[in-house]
Amino acid sequence: MRVSTMSTYLNGLTAMQRLQSALDQTQRQISTGRRILTPSDDPIASARALEMRESIARLQQFDRNAGIAQNRLAQEESALASVNDVLQRVRELAIQANNATQSDESRSAISVEMRQLLDGLVQIANQKDGNGRYMFSGLMEDTQPVTRVGGAFNYNGDQGQRFIQIGESRQLPDGDSGADVFFRIRAGNGAFISSPAAANTGTGVLGAGSVTDPTQWDQGQYTVTFIDPDNYEVRDSGGALVTAGTFDPGDTIAFRGIEFAIDGEPAAGDQFDIAASPLRDVFTAIDNLIAAVEMPANDGTARAAMNNGINAGVLDIDRAIDNILDVRTKVGSRLAAIEKQVDDNGALVLTLQDTVASIEDLDYAEALSRLSQQLTTLEAAQQSFVRTQGISLFNYL
Amino acid sequence: MPDLLTTSLTGMRAFQRALDVTGHNIANANTPGYSRQVVDFVSRGAQASSAGFIGSGVKITAIRRMYDSLLGQQMQTAATQQTRFSTLNDLSSRVDSLLADADTGLNSSMQSFFGALQDLANDPSSLPTRSALIGEAEGLVSRLRSLDQQLAAIDNEVSGRLKLSVAEINQAAEGIADLNDKIALTRGGPPPNDLLDARDQLVTALSEQISVSTTLQDDGTMNVFIGSGQSLVVGSRVQRLGIVNNEFDPTRLDVTYEGSSGSTTLNTALTGGALGGLLEFRSRILDPTLQSLGQTAVTLADAFNTQHSSGLDLRGNLGGDFFSIDGPGVLPSSANTGAPTAAVSISDFGALTGGNYVLEYDGAAWSLRDEATNMPVTLTGSGTAADPFVADGLSIEVGGAPAAGDSFLIRPTQDASGSLTALISDPQAIAAAAPTRTAADFSNTGDASISPPTVYDPQDPLLLNNAVIEFTTPNTYSINGAGAYLYVDGGTIAVNGSSFTIDGTPGVGDTFTLSANFGATGDNGNALNLGAIQSTGILDGGNISIGENYSQLVSTVGSATFQIQASLDAQNVVLANAENALLERAGVNLDEEATNLIRYQQAYQAAAQVVSVTKNLFDTLLGATRR
Repeated sequence: MRVSTMSTYLNGLTAMQRLQSALDQTQRQISTGRRILTPSDDPIASARALEMRESIARLQQFDRNAGIAQNRLAQEESALASVNDVLQRVRELAIQANNATQSDESRSAISVEMRQLLDGLVQIANQKDGNGRYMFSGLMEDTQPVTRVGGAFNYNGDQGQRFIQIGESRQLPDGDSGADVFFRIRAGNGAFISSPAAANTGTGVLGAGSVTDPTQWDQGQYTVTFIDPDNYEVRDSGGALVTAGTFDPGDTIAFRGIEFAIDGEPAAGDQFDIAASPLRDVFTAIDNLIAAVEMPANDGTARAAMNNGINAGVLDIDRAIDNILDVRTKVGSRLAAIEKQVDDNGALVLTLQDTVASIEDLDYAEALSRLSQQLTTLEAAQQSFVRTQGISLFNYL
Repeated sequence: MPDLLTTSLTGMRAFQRALDVTGHNIANANTPGYSRQVVDFVSRGAQASSAGFIGSGVKITAIRRMYDSLLGQQMQTAATQQTRFSTLNDLSSRVDSLLADADTGLNSSMQSFFGALQDLANDPSSLPTRSALIGEAEGLVSRLRSLDQQLAAIDNEVSGRLKLSVAEINQAAEGIADLNDKIALTRGGPPPNDLLDARDQLVTALSEQISVSTTLQDDGTMNVFIGSGQSLVVGSRVQRLGIVNNEFDPTRLDVTYEGSSGSTTLNTALTGGALGGLLEFRSRILDPTLQSLGQTAVTLADAFNTQHSSGLDLRGNLGGDFFSIDGPGVLPSSANTGAPTAAVSISDFGALTGGNYVLEYDGAAWSLRDEATNMPVTLTGSGTAADPFVADGLSIEVGGAPAAGDSFLIRPTQDASGSLTALISDPQAIAAAAPTRTAADFSNTGDASISPPTVYDPQDPLLLNNAVIEFTTPNTYSINGAGAYLYVDGGTIAVNGSSFTIDGTPGVGDTFTLSANFGATGDNGNALNLGAIQSTGILDGGNISIGENYSQLVSTVGSATFQIQASLDAQNVVLANAENALLERAGVNLDEEATNLIRYQQAYQAAAQVVSVTKNLFDTLLGATRR
C-alpha cells in the first residue's frame, strides 16, 4: 500500500486529537464526579434523572410542609391539653360545689376559681401561634375567635380547616377551628336536655338520662308534669298526652325511647322540660355552671334548683371533655399519619437518590483506570508519531 | 541516422523534466488537493540500419496527475456528510447543554417556583412568603426569557452562517466556472494537471457547504448540480444562490436559487454540507425547541391564570391573571395580494401540538397545513367569530378581503416563551384563598355536616353572594328561602358557582350557609389548587404535566444530539478513510520522491556521461586523423 506523507501526518494528528478529546471527557467526568455531563451523553438516563430530581425536590418540599403541620399540630395539642386540664378542674370544682356539706360562702369561693378558669379558657381559645395568628379562628387567622358580648360568647372565626400537602396525594388539616373545639358541643347527655321549670316548688333533681331506643326518640319537646307528688304525665309540645305513671322518688321516667331518673320529691304542679340537645359552647356551659354554683341554697327547693343546675352543667362539661378528647385523638392520628408519611417520603427519597446516583454518578475506579489507559495510549501515539516522522530518506542524501 | 549526442541529449532533457516534476511534487507535498504528478517516458522511434533498428533516445509523452475521480467523489460525499453533522453537532450540543444545565435550564426555577407556592400554602397570610412567591415567579419568567434569548442568539448565528455559506458556495461556483473556461482552452493539449487539481479542490470546498453532483463534459469542463437537480455551474455559466427574508417572518432568512426563470426558495431541497446542516438544525432542533418551550410557557400561564382568578386575595378581591403571555403569532405572507385578516387563539391546551401551520386561501375556501410536514390539517367550523375554524386546539377566525393565494403562518407557541411576564407585584394580590366558605349554624339540631365548597364556575356572577340552605322538612331544603329541593344524604348541592355536600341527618329548621370567604387570611384552598398544577396532566390530551413536557424536550434534544454525535463520529471515520484512499493514490510520498531524485539524477549523470563518451569518440577520431 502506498502511504502518502501527508496522510501519515493527518492520521497521526487525527488519532492524537481523538485520544485527547476522550481524555478530556474522562478528565471532566472525574473532576465533576458525574458520568453524564450533558443529556446527549445518555439521553434516556438523563431524562429519567431529571424527572427523579424533580420528584426528590417535591418530596423534600412535602417534608418541609409536614414539619410545619407537625409544629402547628403540636401547638394545638398542647393548647388542647390545657383546655382539658381546665375542664377537668371545673368539673372537680362543680362536683365539690354540689356536695351537701358546702355552704353558700364556700361555693362562692369555688365560683371565684371557676370564673378565673373560664377567663383562662377564653384566653386559650384566643391564643396566638408563634407567628402571631389566632390558632382557633379557623381560616380567619387575624380575627379574634371568641368575644364576650353582654354575657353571650360569640365565635367570630369560620369553620374552615387549612390542609397541608404532605404527600403527592395526601393532604392533612393542620388545625381545628374554634367552632369544632369550643362551640359545636351538644348539651346535656348529647341527645336531650332536661331542665326543671323555674317555678318548681318541690325538691326533684333530674338524673343524666339516656336514650334506650334511638329509633323511638324523635327529638321532640316534651313536658313532664307532676299532677301530685306520686303521679306524673308526659305531654308533647302540642299538649297531647304521651304517657302517665305513678312516681316514687328515684323512679325512672321513660317514654319515646328515652329515660331519666328524678330524685327527691317533686311537688304537685312541678314541671320538667325535655328537648333535643342544642349546641352549646363550652364557655356558656361554664358560665351557666358558675351561675348554678352561685345560687343560694337556703331551702330544699333552692338546693334542688342548684343541684339541677350543677348537674346540667357537669353534663355539659363532660360533653366538652369528650369533644376535646375527640379533637385530641384526631390531632394525634394526624401527627401519626404525618410521621408515617415523612418516613415513607424519606424512604422514597433515599431510593430515588440511589437511583439518580447510579445513573449519573461516576464509577471512579472505572474512570481512573480508563484515564490511565487513555494516557498510556496517547503517550504511545505521540512517541510513535515522533519516531516514524523522524525517519526519511532525505536524511541520507 | 541516429546520433549518440542527440540520443543522450533527449535523455538529459527528459530526466531534467522528470527532476522538475519531482521537485514540483516535493514542493507540493503539503498542498491540500494537490495530486502527485508522474512522468511518462517512451523511447523515441528507432531507425533502421543494416545492423537492425537503432533507437534514438527517450521522450516524455505526458506529465500525468495520479488522481482517481471515483475516489475523489467518495471523499467529497463523505465531506458533505461530515460537515453536515459537524454543523448540526456544534449547534445542537449548545442547545442540549443550555436546556439541561442547572444554571440555564428551566427545571430548577420551575421547582423553586412551585416550592414557593407550597410555602405559601403552608402559611398563606405571611407577606414574606407571598413576596418570595412573586420573586420566584420573576425568576421563572426571566429564566424562560433568557432561554428564549439564547435560542434567538443561536438563531441569529444560524442566519449569519447561512449568509457566509451561501457566499462561499457562490464563490466556489464562480471559481469552478472560471477554471472550466481555462481548462477548455487547453483542449487537445497535455492535461492541465494543476488547473484540474484546483477545480477538484473547489468542488471539495463546495461539498463542504452543500451536497453536489458533478458531470464531466467532453471538453473537460465540469457541470455542478445541487438540491433536486438545479444547475449551479454549467460550463462557464454560474447560477447563484441568494438569501431572502422569509415571506412570513422577515427575521428569518431563506436560501433561494437564482435560476434563469427567476428566484425560487430552496430550503427543503438543500441537504448536506454546512448549509444543509444549518437548515436542518433550524427545522429539526431549534424550531421544535422554541415551540415546546413556548408550549410549556403558555400552558403554565393559562393553567395558572385560570386557577388564580378563581381565588380570593388578601383584600377579598378575586385574583386576576398571574402571568401575561402573547397569544399565537399570526404572520401574513409578504406575497398576499388581498387584505385578509386572521385571528387565532388557543381553545384546547390538551390538543395543542406546538407545531406551526400555514393557513391558505385558494380563492374559494381556507385550508390549513402543517408547516413542517406540509400535510393538510382538517378544519371544522366556518371561520366566523361565532363558529371559528377549529384544528389541533386552535380556534381561527378569518375575515377581511382575501385573494386567492393569500396565506398566513400560524405560530401557536414558538414566540411565547419570551413574552411571558409576571403581572402580580403586590404580595397581597396573590389569591391564595378559596373564594367561598360554608358553615353550619350553631343552632342546628340535626347532626348533618357541610363540606368545604369547591368552585366549579369561577365566572358565576353570584359567586361571592351568600346562599342559605334551610331544611324545611327532614327531606327537603330551600335555597335562600325559595324552592323545595329533595335532600340526598351526601349528595352534591351546587349554588352560585360553588358546590358542596351535606352529610348526615339534618333537623327541621337547620341552616347551612355558603358565603364569600372574606377575612379568611389563613385559607390556602386556592394555593393548594395552584400547587397541584405542577403535577397535573394538561398537555397532550391531559397526559403530560408542564414539568414533564420540559423533561421531554430535554430528552428529545438530548437524543437528537446523541444521535448526531454518533453519526458525526461515524462520518469522521468514513471521511478519513475516503481521504486516505484518495491520498494513497494521489498523495506525495517524500521517500518515493527522494528515490526518484536519486534515480533521475543518476540517469541524468549517465546521459551526460554519454555526451562525454561522444566527445571522447570524436576526439579519438580527430586525433587519429590529425597526423
